[in-house]
Order: sequence, then structure tokens, then C-alpha cells
Amino acid sequence: MKIGFIGLGIMGRPMALNLIKGGHDVTVWARRAESMQPLLEAGAKGAASPADAARGNELVVSMVADAPDVAEVMRGVASAGQSGLVAVDMSTIAPAAARRIGEDLAAAGVDFVDAPVSGGEVGAIAGTLSIMAGGSDAAFARAKPAFECMGKNVVHVGASGAGQVTKAANQIVTGMGVLAVAEAFAFAAKNGVDRSKVREALLGGFAYSKILENHGQRMLDRNFKPGFKSWMHEKDLNIVMQTAHELGLCLPGSAATAQMFNAMVGSGLGEEDSIAVLKLLERLSGQE
Amino acid sequence: MKIGFIGLGAMGRPMARHLQRAGHDLAVWARRPESVGDLSARVCATPAELGRCCEVVFTVVTSSADVAGVALGKDGLIDGMAPGSVLVDCSTIAPDAARHIAEKLGEKGIRFLDAPVSGGEQGAIAATLAIMAGGDAAVLERVRPLLECLGQRIVHIGPNGAGQVAKACNQMIMVAAIEAAAEAMRLAAGAGVDCAKVRQALAGGSAASRVLEVMGERMVSRDFSAGIEARLHHKDFGLVLEAARQSGVPVALTAVVAQQLNALMARGWGLDDTSSLLRVLELA
Repeated sequence: MKIGFIGLGIMGRPMALNLIKGGHDVTVWARRAESMQPLLEAGAKGAASPADAARGNELVVSMVADAPDVAEVMRGVASAGQSGLVAVDMSTIAPAAARRIGEDLAAAGVDFVDAPVSGGEVGAIAGTLSIMAGGSDAAFARAKPAFECMGKNVVHVGASGAGQVTKAANQIVTGMGVLAVAEAFAFAAKNGVDRSKVREALLGGFAYSKILENHGQRMLDRNFKPGFKSWMHEKDLNIVMQTAHELGLCLPGSAATAQMFNAMVGSGLGEEDSIAVLKLLERLSGQE
Repeated sequence: MKIGFIGLGAMGRPMARHLQRAGHDLAVWARRPESVGDLSARVCATPAELGRCCEVVFTVVTSSADVAGVALGKDGLIDGMAPGSVLVDCSTIAPDAARHIAEKLGEKGIRFLDAPVSGGEQGAIAATLAIMAGGDAAVLERVRPLLECLGQRIVHIGPNGAGQVAKACNQMIMVAAIEAAAEAMRLAAGAGVDCAKVRQALAGGSAASRVLEVMGERMVSRDFSAGIEARLHHKDFGLVLEAARQSGVPVALTAVVAQQLNALMARGWGLDDTSSLLRVLELA
């Protein structure tokens, strides 16, 4: 398939590489020309603009930072006037923003799928991302071969915006999950109990989770290198809290968690992995 | 002085009257002409027209977008106000939005003060509002005589936006206090104790507060008709949390109170008084 790919950061670069490996004909564009270089070396064509990345292609994929960036590149995509094009955004943005972008693209005759991912840089490189998609059946079907090169667990959740709703739900569970494991470890340590033994015991019971297993191990190793930076988790939880505010939805646990991540960003832990919330807890209770 | 007024709601109407009573020449613009009502003032067709005939314009509207609309939008104040004239915005909006509006007006030589108020409808009627001003000190001194018609405590907080930061702080403390009063009333009732007696006893001690006095009374008498429409506090909490986020300052209690306000909105009590936070607690 002929695919345009926009945004070649930590996530976008390996995702585009996996499309090339999957035999697709890929054209790339990134704001900084040097980000395009590794892809050009791997066989991709270079585009001069988002519109250029859309022209002559069946599918265009974006993986950028935030809603204004998505809106901007999709305005370019719409301006290409490429009939029958499907545009897929895999960034994490607010569901309401995704719906608006979908409507704008529809007005230009472009089908839109919001398809945020979970699984981080590791999943992007291995092509094992979870992909949660929102959009029409027809648009999803056309994008599916590309999704299958980038991810393992590909779910068509519902209509436009449903992918972003699912991703927000994912960030609620992972945000509170990381905080829960960190609090359990802080609790064990303050009681003078070996946290690695606690983790080992909990892994066999109902408290088992991937977060306890993987993030928990990294907390024990005190390996706070990202992974998933805490400022990004803060951004995602802000999407959750703003959506809850607009809808009139009471989410006390998410609210408390969002404030912990807010404190991390404010106190210089924003560039560390989200498991650094353990450091914040230790600071609060004098456990450094 | 020729004074313009936009926003003739529960707060704006008594404020406009005080300015008129002090002998000022009043002109108004209203989105819905019927809200001018019995106010005898010159009615202008657009904010720009209002701006052309006034030295000082007051706005008391709801949201950041409302203020930006009348100030900078089509036929906005910016198209009519003369260089050196002053826009005093008494609405509660985002500090960022206040700074942006000040900057845009400044490019045309129009001066701006963010001057949100606290004290509610009662304070507006009694002219006892607390006014927290952000902007140039010299501009504040020019309009101080006008503000003194509206309130007793007028504090220059700092540059543009600083008034709105102070108002955000005010809302954090006030609504958290309403939630605390609601939880105390709920605890008293749950433990089978007379809420009215508890409130009466507390009013004489360290927990005494204006919130316990006014909102506590509404809770005891279960009179949830507005005072202050809870939807406005809900709106303000969105501003507070966004400001906290931008500053990287954790506000744990505010965040949880915001969730109680979300629940209040979901139950359809947004037009009732914020003492309805008691009713949210009674749902659980």
C-alpha cells in the first residue's frame, strides 16, 4: 500500500520502519529534516510537507505530540485534495479534539481514524503495540493492513473519537496502577519489609499486573530512565480530567493521581519515567 | 465621567446602578437587549459603539471567551475605545486570557485592568465587594474612585493576570470550605446529631467562617436555591486546575473537590447554590 507517514519521533520512527519492513511504499515527512534521514536510508521517500505526504497515497498516518500539531498537519493533508484518502492519527489527544479533526477532514472528503497506541517505544520497535481505533468500518478496514505491521492487539472500538476515549481509559488504569505499586512499595519499606519479596508474593495473587511485574521491577532497580516520561503521563491525565470536567463526571482517584504527576513535573521529575512517582512518595514521607 | 457597562446579570446590574448613583453618565451594551430592563442608560448597538462614547468600560460576563469576544471580537471594544481609555474586567477568567486581552488592547493604547470581585450578589448590592486588581498601578489609581463605588477592599495584586490569580486562590479556599462544611453537616446527620446545633456551636469557635455562616445555614435549612450558581464554581475550578497545571503546583484537595463539583453538575444541580455539595455527599 502507498502510505504517507508524518512525525518521526521516538514512536513514529520505528512505526514507519515497520511499515517499510511490511513491504509498504512509504513516504515520510517530519518537521526537522534530520529526523527523516534514517527512514530515507531504509528506503522511504521524503516529502516536502504534510500535503505532499498525502498526495498520491491511499493512507496517511500521523504520530505527533499534541492536538494542535495533529490539527495543523491534518489541515495540510486535507489541502492535498487526494480523493479516497484515509487519514489515521496515532497520537494521544483529547477525544473531543479527535472528533473535530474527523469532521474537518470529512468536509474535505477524507476519512479519518483515531488510533492511539499503548506499549511505548519497546512496543513500537517490536511491532507489538496495542492499537485502539475509532472511525467507520470502511476506513478501519482500509487502515488495518498498516495497523498489523505496527501492532499486535488491534481493536476497532467504535466511531470517531472512540480510540481516544479508550486511550484515556488506558491512562487512567496505568496512571493509578503505577501510583498503586509505588504506594505499596513505600508502605512495605516504611514497615521495614523487603519490597522485592512483597512484589514476588503479590505476583501470584489478585494484585498481579503487568505494571507490578515490569514497572515494579524497575522501581526495585531504581531505573528511572524513560520509557514513558512522566510529563507525558501528566498530559494524558489532563485530557482525562478536562473531559471529566466537560462531561460532569466524578473521578476522585484519577484527580488525586493527576496531582501527583503534576507535582512530578513541577519538581523536576518530568523527564524521568512515570515510575519516578516512587521518588515523590519517598520525598513526601522522608524515606529518601 | 462617561462609563460603559457590559454584563447586566446578577452581579453587573447592581454594580452599574452604584456607578450611576454616584453621578456617572452610563451607557450599556447587552447581548440580549431585554436584559437592559428598567435601567435608564444609553443603549449602544455594539461594544465598539459603547467604546467610542466612554472613558472607562466595565465588563462582568461569564467566561474567558465572553470577555475576549466583547473586547477583541467583531465590532468589539477594541474597535471603539480611544487610546488612554480603560477597560476594567470584573469577570472571573483565566489569568492567561486576561494577559492576552491586555496585550491586544495595549497595542492600540487601550489600558486594561483585570479586577475580579468576591462577595457575591449580596456584596454587589451592598457595594461591599472585595476587588483584586491586576495591571498598571497608575491605571488602577485612575479608576479607583469608580471601584470605591463598588467595594470597600481594593487591592493592587500585581501586573495583568495577577488579579485573576488572586481570584483563583479565593475560589479554591471558598469552595473547599463549602465542601468541608458539607462533609461536617453530613457527618453530624450520619451520626444522628442535630446539624443546626452543630453549626450553631461551631460558629462561635475556631471553625467559624463566612461559608459556615451562609452556606451552612442553607444546608441546615435545605434551601439550595441559588445564592451562587454552582455551575460558576464548576467553571472556576476548571481555571484553577489549569493554572495549577501550568505552574506545576500540586493541588490535591482542590482536585478532589473539583470531582464533587463534576458530580453536582451531572446530577443537574448547576443552577442551584454550591451548598448542593451536601446533596452530592448524600448520594453515597
